[in-house]
Amino acid sequence: MSQSQPKEIFVRLDRCLSCHSCEWACAVEHSQSKSLHQAVSETPQPKRRVYVESIDPNQSLPVLCRHCEEAPCLHACIAGAISRVKDVVITNPGKCIGCWTCVMVCPYGVIGRHLEEHKAYRCDRCPDRAVPACVTACPTKALVYRSADEYSKGIRQTAASEMAAGKRS
Amino acid sequence: MAGPGKQYVIIGASAAGMAAAQAIAEKDPLGRIRIFSEEPDPPYFRPLIPFLISGRKSAAEMELKGSGPFQAAGLDLHLNSRVEHIEVNEQKMTVSGGETFAYDKLLIATGSRPHIPTDIEGVDQEGVYALRTLKDARSMAKRSEQAKQAVLLGGGLLNLKAAFALLERGLKVTLVVQSPEVLSRLMEPEDSRLIREALIRAGLNIKTGVRAVRIIGNGQGVRAVLLNDGRELASEMVCIGKGVSPNVDFIDAEQIHLEEGVLVDRFTCCNAPNVYAAGDAAVTFNPVTGEKVMTALWTNAVEMGRCAGMNMAGYPTGYSGTFGILNATQVADQPFVSMGIVHTKGSDYETHLSASSRAFRKVVFSADGERLVGVLLIGDINRAGLYRYVIRERMPVRAFKSHLINQTLHYGHLLKAKVLLP
Repeated sequence: MSQSQPKEIFVRLDRCLSCHSCEWACAVEHSQSKSLHQAVSETPQPKRRVYVESIDPNQSLPVLCRHCEEAPCLHACIAGAISRVKDVVITNPGKCIGCWTCVMVCPYGVIGRHLEEHKAYRCDRCPDRAVPACVTACPTKALVYRSADEYSKGIRQTAASEMAAGKRS
Repeated sequence: MAGPGKQYVIIGASAAGMAAAQAIAEKDPLGRIRIFSEEPDPPYFRPLIPFLISGRKSAAEMELKGSGPFQAAGLDLHLNSRVEHIEVNEQKMTVSGGETFAYDKLLIATGSRPHIPTDIEGVDQEGVYALRTLKDARSMAKRSEQAKQAVLLGGGLLNLKAAFALLERGLKVTLVVQSPEVLSRLMEPEDSRLIREALIRAGLNIKTGVRAVRIIGNGQGVRAVLLNDGRELASEMVCIGKGVSPNVDFIDAEQIHLEEGVLVDRFTCCNAPNVYAAGDAAVTFNPVTGEKVMTALWTNAVEMGRCAGMNMAGYPTGYSGTFGILNATQVADQPFVSMGIVHTKGSDYETHLSASSRAFRKVVFSADGERLVGVLLIGDINRAGLYRYVIRERMPVRAFKSHLINQTLHYGHLLKAKVLLP
């Protein structure tokens, strides 16, 4: 059924230049002040939820919560703190007891531990924004916010036009 | 046949039973799901009950319904209801009181109960507990209002949690551990130094290498605990945490194969038709070693229960098994994760250790060094889930082995390995 497929944050592996803009934007969005200048001096320090990781000197990629369909963290949580709300897997800090079971089962390694508050945290897809902060901040559009259908359609069209161009030459 | 929808009966309303019910409700909305629980309380997050003792959470805050994955409504829940007998040929079961329910699909998710050693005298007195149910927690909380000292027998995770709850209540708490060190099931004694230090810093008294022989009482219940070295520890309450045994006494072994717990295949199905089992009561397998294992872990029970629910609802789903050890928690100020094979003394596993004053890491590979089989992380547990993934998928580790050893592994390494591997 094509009733508005949810949007996700996709990563285009060939585009990341390792500039870390997404990390900064994420931390600022999750700060109290939501301004870079004030965020840097806040205590506790604002936490980023996207991690630019280097695979080799020429390739990096931003890693963040995939909000898995069968999310291991959601089922593993021993406190009922993790649930799915409008296609986003969220941790309720009020219920989190800091047992780190979610950290133990996340196959992407993207659940952080907020040591000051003794709570787990992760990407919340920026509930206050139309487009997540990391996506907006990415200068090369390595991060895109689209539905799976839109995203794969884009890939198909690019591939098709490249093939067509190849045929012509 | 009986009614329009399938008749599901689930025995046990904790992690496995409720996860199964949730999966069934998602997959077969027309099915009728009956769940039977011996306990008087509606289903709750069992791992949270120590917080009732510390006073950090109320029973209402621990309720399962509406929390995390447990959103299903419309379940037919029978509390205070003990199942007496399953008649597999007729596909029905009987509860205490004699009422009988027919099933199309049945799940045994009866969990486990505390193992009470027979070599300790006086365990029947008032003030002696084994923390398993919300009811136990309420009794412990009540007694701790009057008590000044508590003795906890057993150095496992459950007792540590109970110990911290009682410390928070202001009691003087002594942990009596027969093994040379606490948490011996989850780590070797020489690997647990940071945990031991954290426990002592938090104010816990720990006596290792001794065991209780008698619990001494007076008219008001427990008064002291006598140890095998002749010492007597004054105490108004005792908590026994010596492991658990599966609740399978009601099962006729002629009809359903038991091997301590209920034996199931990879689709969580018993030998009897249309009977499934999951959670602490089930015997499952270790995906790394292939050995049969029984665990008593919420996380495993939910995963296995969900899988059983899918199978019962007609969606064949293989259970991927579990490691015998799969624990994460924080004791005092130290987080730790222990998973897979972490007891390596006298074995030929390839083991890499890293120890500092703040963190400890033990990474265990197969003898040929090609596969990761276990990891113990204390202090820094970041990205522990990647280790679990690598163990479980039995990935060849050569391409990123140094990152495993140094705990610098990230998802990019796995992605690269997966994409580039044949």
